[in-house]
Amino acid sequence: MSSETQAAPTTPAISVEDIRLSYGEAQVLSGVDLTVNRGDVVALIGSSGSGKTTLLRCLNLLAKPSHGKISLSGDPFFHFDNGKDELGLSAAQTNAIRSRIGMVFQQFNLFPHMKVLANVMEGPKTVKGEAHSTNRDRAMSYLKKVGMADFADRSPSSLSGGQKQRVSIARALNMEPEVMLFDEPTSALDPELVGEVLSTMIELAKEGMTMIVVTHELGFALEVANRVVFLDQGTVCADGPPSDILMNPPNERVKGFVNRFHQTAEMMKPFIKSE
Amino acid sequence: MFDWSAITQNSHLIWSGVLITLEYTVITSLIGLVIGLIVALMQLTSNKIVVVIGRLFVEFFRNIPLLVWLLWAYYALPIFMGINISKEAAGILALSLYGAAYFAEIFRAGIQSIDSGQSDAAVALGMSYRQMNVRVILPQALRRMIPPLAGQMIIQLKNTTLLAVITVPDLLYQAEYIASFTYRPLEVYTTIALVFLAILVPLTYIARRLEQKEVKS
Repeated sequence: MSSETQAAPTTPAISVEDIRLSYGEAQVLSGVDLTVNRGDVVALIGSSGSGKTTLLRCLNLLAKPSHGKISLSGDPFFHFDNGKDELGLSAAQTNAIRSRIGMVFQQFNLFPHMKVLANVMEGPKTVKGEAHSTNRDRAMSYLKKVGMADFADRSPSSLSGGQKQRVSIARALNMEPEVMLFDEPTSALDPELVGEVLSTMIELAKEGMTMIVVTHELGFALEVANRVVFLDQGTVCADGPPSDILMNPPNERVKGFVNRFHQTAEMMKPFIKSE
Repeated sequence: MFDWSAITQNSHLIWSGVLITLEYTVITSLIGLVIGLIVALMQLTSNKIVVVIGRLFVEFFRNIPLLVWLLWAYYALPIFMGINISKEAAGILALSLYGAAYFAEIFRAGIQSIDSGQSDAAVALGMSYRQMNVRVILPQALRRMIPPLAGQMIIQLKNTTLLAVITVPDLLYQAEYIASFTYRPLEVYTTIALVFLAILVPLTYIARRLEQKEVKS
């Protein structure tokens, strides 16, 4: 944990104000406000095209909004007023902010030309210039935490999807981020491999890591998240505790979305029983 | 019918031609690789003007026949710039820039073939543009680029024969010279054809092996 985390426990981990982003004519985000407090586990849900992945990518500026403000632990790092940069951060300052935010991708995006351990050590080595031995010890402890210590000398291509995703979580953690972003971390996995990744994430959540998770796993949202944010057509359509949002949808859009999942579950029942 | 004394008595000329050919191949390939990488990176930036300059460079040199460009560099460029340019400098300039255009295309295609998730992951860790390229993108792209780069260097070696036109004493120039005073073109040109085969067949073989290795991995 970094020093500012302890110094200011009440400042939000991430706060987002009126974020707007369009690709050509299509407005993907049309004014999103979101405040994520330290220790929050936020499940970001919504149908495809609702802008949830784009919103997540905006949080570490992998996507650049045309308007809005974003700050990390009270440090503003993005402020555009209708396309005009009000903050003028240098590329180096933006990179420094990114290094404090961990990200886990749907397709893992491990570096295929490096072994597992080198993947996990790469961030602190290249970005922070950290000493090899401290870096290695911490990297190994994170690999152990995600259950991948025995695979340290393996090549990423020899791993299963679930193993790759656990390594990529360790890679993000080894930067000791203040916030972890997860972009549909289990969507590319075979069903039997989803559990090992979710259990790693549950463990992280229990330890108080601030997490923002774009997910289709409503079960995860219900059981692990302490907050569900439902995005629809580029705006926050519902925001609250999972049980409220998922069990008693506050409006028709959420109801329609949640019902589709319940219906799928109902439809599956006869097949599950017949086995 | 054959009289090989034309070759044996002038073997020192052929050897010096071989050395000149190899020397120009290595020098112009190295310069071409460096310029090619810069031109490729120019085409991959977000600055539209820089992209267009890079694109123009490639199209300019790819669409002028090398022989024309070589003659222009030797005969026209000095007048144009008001400077004296040696045949060696003109040859190196022409071959390097011509090669650079092709190397640039290989680099650009190789870099663009790397999945965008790789740059996402590098950027998300906080890497700078340079760190991302040095640590993540180029090491992967270079592996894919080795076979086409090797192929282009083989073409580069063959292209050095055009230097004979501006009297750089490469292998072909020496052959013409020997043939001119021995009157044995059959033996001379047969010999240098065999010399090129002897140099290039092993290189082509290595390039192909690299390609197969790449397909497997």
